[in-house]
Amino acid sequence: MRVLNFTVNGTPRTVHLEEGRVMLASVLRDSLGLTGTKVGCGTGQCGSCTVVMDGKAVTSCTVPAEKAEGTSVLTIESLAEGGVLHPIQQAFVEAGAIQCGFCTPGIVMRLYALFTQNPDADDETIMKELDKHLCRCTGYENIVKAAHLAQEKLRAAR
Amino acid sequence: MTLQHVGKSVPRVDAVRKATGEAVFVADIVLPRMLHAKVLRAGVPHAKILSIDTSKAEAMPGVKKVVTGQGCGMLFGTCLWDQPPLAVDKVRHAGEPVAVVLAETGNQAAAALKEIAVEYKKLPFVLDPVEAAAPGAPLIHEKNGEYRRVEYSVHPIPGSNVFHHYKLRKGNEQEGFAKADVTVEDEFEFPLSSQAPLEPHGAICRFGTDGDIEIWASNQAPFVLRDVLADMFGIPATKVRVHIPYLGGGFGGKSDVSIEPMVAYAASFVPGYAVKLVLTRGEVISGALIGRGMKGRMRIGAKLDGTFTALKAEMYFADGAYGDTGWPVDTVAGHNCTGPYEFPNAIVDVYGVYTNSPIVGAYRGYGHPEGQFMSSRLIDMLARKLDMTPAEIMRKNFLCEGRKNALGQTIKKSNGDLFGCLDAVEKALAEEPLPPNDERYVYGRGIASMMKSPKMAANAASCCHVQVNADGSAFVNLAGIEMGQGVHTVFAQMAAEALELPFEKVRIYFDVDTQYSPWEWQTVASMQTYRGGRAIQDACRALVEKAKKTAATAWNCAPGMVAYREGVCVHPNTGATLSLGTLARGFMAANGLTVGEPLAATGWYRVPEITEPDPETGMGNAAGSWTFGAQGCALRVDRQTGEVKILHFASAFDVGRAVNPAATRGQVTGGVVQGMGAALMEKILFTDDGAAKNVTFPAYKIPRLHDAPEKQTVVLLETPNEEGPWSAKPMAEHPIVAVAPTILNALRDATGVEFTAIPVTPERILEALKTRKEDK
Ligand code: FES
Ligand code: FES
Repeated sequence: MRVLNFTVNGTPRTVHLEEGRVMLASVLRDSLGLTGTKVGCGTGQCGSCTVVMDGKAVTSCTVPAEKAEGTSVLTIESLAEGGVLHPIQQAFVEAGAIQCGFCTPGIVMRLYALFTQNPDADDETIMKELDKHLCRCTGYENIVKAAHLAQEKLRAAR
Repeated sequence: MTLQHVGKSVPRVDAVRKATGEAVFVADIVLPRMLHAKVLRAGVPHAKILSIDTSKAEAMPGVKKVVTGQGCGMLFGTCLWDQPPLAVDKVRHAGEPVAVVLAETGNQAAAALKEIAVEYKKLPFVLDPVEAAAPGAPLIHEKNGEYRRVEYSVHPIPGSNVFHHYKLRKGNEQEGFAKADVTVEDEFEFPLSSQAPLEPHGAICRFGTDGDIEIWASNQAPFVLRDVLADMFGIPATKVRVHIPYLGGGFGGKSDVSIEPMVAYAASFVPGYAVKLVLTRGEVISGALIGRGMKGRMRIGAKLDGTFTALKAEMYFADGAYGDTGWPVDTVAGHNCTGPYEFPNAIVDVYGVYTNSPIVGAYRGYGHPEGQFMSSRLIDMLARKLDMTPAEIMRKNFLCEGRKNALGQTIKKSNGDLFGCLDAVEKALAEEPLPPNDERYVYGRGIASMMKSPKMAANAASCCHVQVNADGSAFVNLAGIEMGQGVHTVFAQMAAEALELPFEKVRIYFDVDTQYSPWEWQTVASMQTYRGGRAIQDACRALVEKAKKTAATAWNCAPGMVAYREGVCVHPNTGATLSLGTLARGFMAANGLTVGEPLAATGWYRVPEITEPDPETGMGNAAGSWTFGAQGCALRVDRQTGEVKILHFASAFDVGRAVNPAATRGQVTGGVVQGMGAALMEKILFTDDGAAKNVTFPAYKIPRLHDAPEKQTVVLLETPNEEGPWSAKPMAEHPIVAVAPTILNALRDATGVEFTAIPVTPERILEALKTRKEDK
């Protein structure tokens, strides 16, 4: 049986992989019970499964489990560790950017990667990152607002 | 008293759990002894099943059972019982389930699928609804007309593929058109499309050894699902328990039932095990419910001053392989295709047609966008013929006090203010002048007005239980499904208002469970704020009465003398108070002696006096509510690429009262973008072999951020009315209704091209620009 060793939300993990193609999304959700990561398409198009792998946002439904070997992965569950919302999450709540909420964790994780790497990302960069996600509910207006609000909050906290 | 909660943009009650990923959706649920299901789908659109060999698959590692429809005599439905849970002797669309593999893991189930051998005898297939309705078309259901059905409402034409014919006969066609000075007429197409909720459908079902069924499903209609399963298995409804977690969007695609009967049927073969199925994105289109699929023709006659004299329309719906979820769409499309205008004569025929395509069900605003697409485009054409503006024609004919809609119902002032909506949209658009056309871009503007008057089951109702705790907090229990629209938040606002309690003291039950949730018809037709809100008011009123009664007993005075405010009963003379909390379990004196009932109450609401449309005239008191609105946009077309950019999209709706204005705006911005997807990008295509082709993202393209309008204006009018709770009207599906004609009217303005079919893709625009000689 194949074994995957990697770090998830700061904790080293060993996961036995079943036969056949296993994607990171499934390891996180099915093996580790981290169901905050959502699967909307399974083909890398909707972004709802986005997690942060070695500092970069990836769609976990398209990352073969083996590719995660030795990496450090952050999921949505890591952000509010300790019971306090991360400023990005707080921004989504305040901006009314959440309707059904299925797209939310993925978008939050992408912005987390972006603002960690590039806290002063300009509008165009933010838009380009958000454009990798699908949301069927909001029409995006409040998601854009939330992204800007998140950036402000993070700046203020610096 | 001024409102404390209703009308405030409070943050959503489910926002934190959704921001943290803690909100549970069906795919997140894991049960003990759970098997994973994968579905073998036909792959051919119309064929006889000659044989199915599952022996190899059954021997694969991890496989517990392979279930087929062989020998299954069940048909399920709510008004038309025409569908088996799995294909039995023939398949009627390429996505139809033929076998379900149950295995320990999803991968094992998927591997075993490939080992199932099915032999088919292919039959001629038909996808186009007009062709399918014509004589000589391949017959998809030999038994059309013989199936059990609700005869007053569903009208099949036996020997054909037409399983439902809705006809509207208001006035007289000849006389109406004889009075017309001008007519406009055209053919239209509103293609099959996907509701595309971001969460794929899922269900987990477990048959107990005692014969009880328990199911967790991404479904908007738990009680419908419960009753369908009970009926299908011939057991009492009490033996079926339905749980609904959060839904990752529904838009109608999760209403009624879709995949659940199949999952339950498969689970019935493995009692004691839970069977879980979560669809792939491709299956959401090929194997659940899709929407729209209308081809039609409409003619409008008008006087020289723009007054309408008559409307004649014919619509054919490609409702797919089975008809139970399609027929109400057809009926609604029929009596709503007039749009929000009075036509003294309206003759409409709608045909719900079996086609060899995935099954059509509800999709946001069902029937309204399809039908009003035609009338709204024709009004634009008529305006040019009459040398008037479209807005002038609209104002001439708007439904308003004293006028009659297509169903023959007389409109009241309180039904809403179309004039105000149109004024607001025109004003918003006028604030930004269109840039002049240049080398690269042409610009245009368009408007359309809309109405939505949904058809519901005539007995559709919402029920509500309220229970007060000893600390004075209150549980409010009703079965409106939270699928993103914000219903739990709005319920909490209304309950807090009705009980005069702080918002934090009111809690809406988050999980819907048919074992303890009060009955609710289903969460469709934007009715929860309206109908659920009235049920909340009713229950809270009863609860306050109970509290007053107990207080009166405690004080030994008449209950009518007790006042209630802000969670407290007040003695009329002494000013003494008893809070809801102290009365929660009855009033207890110092020595423990307790009087009065525990504080719990029930309430309900049904839109009064609804009837099904008359089978002959299609008229009657079938619409239980109206919401009126208008939309307009300014857009730009790139002459070189054919790409369309919406610069400004303005919407105005008379919502009676916005219970949560921020949430209402969210419904509008989202609905507009979804409608824009329909107008410009979305259409389910089929291969030459008759299978749905573009079923995954991005082949099925829905709008991304860069596609969205640069700016949206949302105006909410609040015409007081008696019907809604605190005057609130239905408002959720509405923003999608007029988007396609609004955009196509603007495209006509920009390019001079009359598009009558959507989506208008860049390729079609380039093609049209090429064949058109001079630009305007
Ligand atoms: S689920 Fe991974 S991108 Fe859609
Ligand atoms: S909030 Fe539903 S998909 Fe984005």
